[in-house]
Amino acid sequence: MSKPPPAEAARARALLSATARAGRARLARPILLGLASIACGIAQAWLIATVLAALLGHGDGGWAELAGAASLALLATGLTVAQERAQADAGASARAGLRRRAFARLLRAGPADERPVGERAALVVDRIEALDGYFSRWLPAAALAAAGPLLIAVAVATEDPLSGVILFAAGAMVPVGMALTGIGAALASRQQFDALQALSGRFLDRMRGLPQLVLFRRQEAEAQSLGAAADELRRRTMRVLRVAFLSGLVLEVIFAAVLGCLAWRHGNLLVGGHPDPQAALFCLLMVPGFFAPLRAFSAAYHERMSANGAAAALAPLLDGPDEEDGLQLAEIPPSVVVTFEHVGLTYDPARGPALTDLSFRVLPGEALVLAGPSGSGKSSVLRLLMGFRAPDGGRIALNGRDATTLRPAELRRLSAYVGQKAHLFRASIRENILLARPEATPAEVEAAARAAHVTEFATALPEGLDTLVGEGGYGLSGGQAQRVAIARAFLRNTPLVLLDEPTAHLDPGTEAQVLDSLRRLCAGRTAIIATHSPALRARFSRALELEQGRAILSRMAGE
Amino acid sequence: MRQDLTRVLGLWGARRAWLLAGVAMAVLAALAGVALLAFAGRGVSEGLRTGALTGAAIGSLLLLRPLMVLRPGARYLERLVTHSATFRALADTRIWFFRRLAERLPAGLGLRGAGDLLGRLVSDVEALDGLYLRALVPGTAAIAVVLAVAVLLGAAEPALAAIVALPLALALLLPPLLAPGAARAAGRVAEAQGGLRAAAVDPLLGLEDTLAANAEPRAAARLDEAGRALAATQDRLSRRSAWGGATGSLLAQAALLGALGYGLAGGPGAVGATIIGLFLALAAGEVLAALPRAGTALAAAGASAHRLFEAADTPPPVAEPEHPAEAPSGHALRAEGVRFAWAADRAPVFEDLSFDLPEGGRLALLGPSGAGKSTLASLLLKLAAPQEGRLLIGGADIATLSADTVRARIACLTQDARLFDDSIAANLRLAAPEADDAALWRALERAGVADVVRALPEGLETRCGEGGARFSGGQGRRLALARALLAPADILILDEPGAGLDPTAERAFLETLESATEGRSVILIAHRLMGVERPTRILRLVGGRALPAMG
Repeated sequence: MSKPPPAEAARARALLSATARAGRARLARPILLGLASIACGIAQAWLIATVLAALLGHGDGGWAELAGAASLALLATGLTVAQERAQADAGASARAGLRRRAFARLLRAGPADERPVGERAALVVDRIEALDGYFSRWLPAAALAAAGPLLIAVAVATEDPLSGVILFAAGAMVPVGMALTGIGAALASRQQFDALQALSGRFLDRMRGLPQLVLFRRQEAEAQSLGAAADELRRRTMRVLRVAFLSGLVLEVIFAAVLGCLAWRHGNLLVGGHPDPQAALFCLLMVPGFFAPLRAFSAAYHERMSANGAAAALAPLLDGPDEEDGLQLAEIPPSVVVTFEHVGLTYDPARGPALTDLSFRVLPGEALVLAGPSGSGKSSVLRLLMGFRAPDGGRIALNGRDATTLRPAELRRLSAYVGQKAHLFRASIRENILLARPEATPAEVEAAARAAHVTEFATALPEGLDTLVGEGGYGLSGGQAQRVAIARAFLRNTPLVLLDEPTAHLDPGTEAQVLDSLRRLCAGRTAIIATHSPALRARFSRALELEQGRAILSRMAGE
Repeated sequence: MRQDLTRVLGLWGARRAWLLAGVAMAVLAALAGVALLAFAGRGVSEGLRTGALTGAAIGSLLLLRPLMVLRPGARYLERLVTHSATFRALADTRIWFFRRLAERLPAGLGLRGAGDLLGRLVSDVEALDGLYLRALVPGTAAIAVVLAVAVLLGAAEPALAAIVALPLALALLLPPLLAPGAARAAGRVAEAQGGLRAAAVDPLLGLEDTLAANAEPRAAARLDEAGRALAATQDRLSRRSAWGGATGSLLAQAALLGALGYGLAGGPGAVGATIIGLFLALAAGEVLAALPRAGTALAAAGASAHRLFEAADTPPPVAEPEHPAEAPSGHALRAEGVRFAWAADRAPVFEDLSFDLPEGGRLALLGPSGAGKSTLASLLLKLAAPQEGRLLIGGADIATLSADTVRARIACLTQDARLFDDSIAANLRLAAPEADDAALWRALERAGVADVVRALPEGLETRCGEGGARFSGGQGRRLALARALLAPADILILDEPGAGLDPTAERAFLETLESATEGRSVILIAHRLMGVERPTRILRLVGGRALPAMG
């Protein structure tokens, strides 16, 4: 139940107003169209009041005025349609810009951002969609809620000053009432968002592990705890809404009061015979119109609150300059010498360092095998070279130049990487291989598939290399998915090759085949391979034994 | 669409009282609003017509006072009750959907993709609120208002009642008329939303591979493209809803101007009724203004419901027997001539698989990747059913046993065993909810990961992160192994228990396999044997058959 710190709220507001400033031109259009539509409404009410007064035996008015009112109704409707379209357009363009920036930041942060994927995806999808209402409804509604009633009150005042004053007073009370009821709701809105996000993250986590839950017969227990989480979300949300709806209540009360005051005002006038019946009717007829922009404002008020919550979550991500620091590579060198000098890395101080004082050098044409028990820091070395992490101490040099001065994305251009669990994207096998180098020719892709022994199992599939594979590699075994990843490395054709347990999921027969391909992949390149596999170790000459992040033994073949 | 929405209402049956209370509040608030405007108009016009405050006018003005309180109060309660009812109903739907998927898609999501499915769950379930909040509630309120207008005017001037109530009644027809078109548009929006989410989730799930391939610009371009596609569909939907809104407000205007025209044509005699008609039309217009949106909401809810049910109605992979047999007392396993293929157009995994595993036996099942070793686990756990032949446990065909009975007897460490974003203890207790800490430590000890956990500052309470992201691959694998060992099952299937472990750790675990599994039957699935497992039988899968092999 912590309220967002003021600094965070200020950053959220800054993000929203900066985005609004950038889209100023688009945001002005719906406001102008809305004002024009309100002006039509005023003129129409005036004509209707004239006809009505005439019916009651005061003044002239008839079919001509009625026809005028009808055409004004058509015009106002057309203007409203145009306004809605302009609003939607403004919202869409603001969202597109924000989404682009937020996603670029998430990719830039890379694996260092340890939040669950569902939560990060919610940032670029749900949170940004949640901002739509701010730009498409709240901003125009806020502007119209100020200008629209003012316009109407002035028009009413010209007919009957006291009625105008009543409307002015009512209009002034609305924001005061809303501010009084809205503050608590704004605070609570953030909590509701957190709960919603936690629920959504939990769903993704449990859905992805559904087979485990089913096999351990825990699906029913999990369903019940999901129910409890949803209940908790409902309680929190209702707490927000109880306050948020008060702003609607304030408006209703003021509406009823205004109507009562005007009826009393014009009723009182009657005692001495009404001086201007047409004006009295006009004043009354304008009441719903006067409150319509305020109602839209009240309805859109939640948009602002949820936008504040969403923006507070987005603001830390979008902080700082959009451009990334670091140098760019002029060209990819034909060969790379990798040097580690006293490198240290700590992910989490509570768990101790992942790497301590690690030094080694790998030359072109050489392959260094990193060995050691799980958790000894083998993968960390590869993560550093991939720019997923920066070292806390020491120096990593490529061809003698400090690797950390390069932009991480530029660093990665030098290397081909096969991780522990290769991810296959929802696409065909061919497209999955092409990921490594999209400009490659079909012949190159097929050569890479052959070299990684992908062709062997792909030919048995219904559509060969064009067979679709799902997220997580549905339809392919772990070993087959890994072979696709190795094909990517072949296609990439870079001076540096980084392999993280490339044969962990392969049976001995397949491993032997893949080992040959891996040797060919490493030939003439600089290769660093983290592995447990004795067979893989035996193929390469140099090994470095790691234990708890330290090098304990360096060995050449035959030693 | 109607079928899907009726089915949604059926799911909400338990919340009927809440839902009906919300509708009743909405009707009350709408009628109070109509009365407020009608009395105000009547008071003033009576006064204007007679030139003095008559009894009728005073009466009307006095009646305003309770209405002034009643209407805002009813509106506030309406919103609270309808929202609370919606949240309750949606929570029911969410859990129903989860249970359903556990039953229908127990083997996981496959091509559906977790990102897309999350979109379905959260957004589609949330979108169902529109059915109640934006369609049923305002729809019922609007019907009540139109009826009230027709009755009030009909008593005085039937012709005027027709002129005013007819356009209003037409406006009532808008939601069902607009819904099918809007449903198509909403379906496309939801589809595009799923596409956008997939475009965001997929590269994030494979973040290392995306970055390693320098594919960030391509992933961003894909997201941009998906965003544009979504905006285009949203634009079409909003255009429909804008035109629907325009039609509704024109109909309300027609009622209002019609009342005026009736007054002009009918002369002085009709004036009193005309004025009341005018103000009633004005009040009704306010209530009806929300109605065309109800069509859009109805459509969006229909599209969401359709997708939810589509996923939820996937036939279960293995039908439950109608009258499940009693759980057998023994747990000897036997396969008799099993034939199985994942799909009719795929090559069969097993042609004629037969083997025996007596109680307490240890069967090593070897074969190259893709030979179907893991498929056997799916068949034994009733995640798939053989097309021919039988699998028996304790002499009973598993087809005659409920899946729950079978899974209670067999624990499995699958290749993709996931850890949940929860504490280590909670992850282990999935297998045995009642296990005490000592039992957890014993299992961790056997899986060779107790030292790692002991070294953590929070010990058993350490959170594992999504998919066990806080741990290295080998550590996560051993935690999953500890979980499988903890399960109180008679038969253990260990699918590549050594994958991701270093050879020393793998050898150490396999050496203790016999004591770690405490005399339970074990099926060890592996590429190869390390020579320390001491299986009682070794079978090699070749061409869909199990051939006895020597270690």
